Amino acid sequence: TAAAPRPWRLFGAMCLLRLPRITQPLEKEEEEMAALMGQIELEKSHYSDHEIRKLEEEEQLRRRKESTYDDDEAPGKTVIMAQDLEDKWEQKLLRFKAAPRITDADKNNNRTSLNRKLDSNLMLLVKQKIGNQELWLLPQVEWQPGETLRSTAERAMATFLGDHIQAKILGNAPYGIYKYKFPRAIRTEDNVGAKVFFFKAFLQSSDLSQTELKEDYLWVTKDELGDYLKSEYLKKVNRFLLD
Amino acid sequence: PCRAQPKKKKKVDVKKEQAQKDRMKKKIRKLEKAAPEMIPIEDFITPLKYSDSNRVRSLPPLSFEESERRVLLMKKWCLFKQKQDEAEKKAIQSLVEAQQEALKELRLESEELYQAAIRRDEGLFPFERDGPNYTPPIPGYDPPEGKCVDITKVYTQ
Repeated sequence: TAAAPRPWRLFGAMCLLRLPRITQPLEKEEEEMAALMGQIELEKSHYSDHEIRKLEEEEQLRRRKESTYDDDEAPGKTVIMAQDLEDKWEQKLLRFKAAPRITDADKNNNRTSLNRKLDSNLMLLVKQKIGNQELWLLPQVEWQPGETLRSTAERAMATFLGDHIQAKILGNAPYGIYKYKFPRAIRTEDNVGAKVFFFKAFLQSSDLSQTELKEDYLWVTKDELGDYLKSEYLKKVNRFLLD
Repeated sequence: PCRAQPKKKKKVDVKKEQAQKDRMKKKIRKLEKAAPEMIPIEDFITPLKYSDSNRVRSLPPLSFEESERRVLLMKKWCLFKQKQDEAEKKAIQSLVEAQQEALKELRLESEELYQAAIRRDEGLFPFERDGPNYTPPIPGYDPPEGKCVDITKVYTQ
């Protein structure tokens, strides 16, 4: 006997995360502790070869100043002192310019760019038409019989970002579910509501210039999700997001 | 007259060679019977040049305020880490609960999809990722040329 058709429509949604590229700034306690650990390590350590060389050269300089006697080395020979080496290394470090941790996209608050907020996770939000409303949601697509929910989520990702997207999907099982009933006008015996199953994936490729996003899209952090998502949806999504 | 002598030489040589070979074989057997030598762990042996007395740092002893400050900081750190650990465990707990709820709902929907969902994902592990750095990579950066020569000592048993 064939199974009775279920009244719930199934959707697969993909939560695509861009993982952080730089480390988060240290908290106050962490900074204090790091300083203390460095100090204790210094106290417990012995002198290194470089430090011994520096100390001996300082001794030599001092002796030369106090009593003017010629050492074995004639003044013609130029000896590289440890202090000179340190200065040279310092200069070399100052000449190197690292890329800034706060990028231009941060300053402009350009939420469509991936270069923003490099120290936290960014999630993809897409504007979709549900019923007669345009809502900001995680990209979702209706499940079709014959495919697993994971492939539904992959299809959702491909619909919005193209086929060439490289993402590592974390497992076959869904991470969360959002269940809602249709408004009474559309509700029927066979079509009570919808269940949206969320899957998580990590974005592998950092370059998205090849993808053509047709609809409006945003990359937001977990704190900014509240600006765009409805409260019930947001509650369910926040349960499976770590930050 | 000439024939007898070369023959004697050969026999004696053969016997001597045989005796030598037996002695070598005995030595080899003795060496093999002895227990294999342990491979020394180079990290645990401090080279002698670091135990010189002139290497010891001379620093002023810690003041009372400094040691007090250190103890109080350690206690604050302990509390901080405990709170951090608790928050992490709570987050993981909520993650697991959300997933269990999702799987329960899926099972109510269709058994076939549920079975497909709880199947193990073979391609997931081994999972590799480059960790975050302090600054983002400079686009178009040309690192200076250089060669690394590995001088670790390799021991064979």
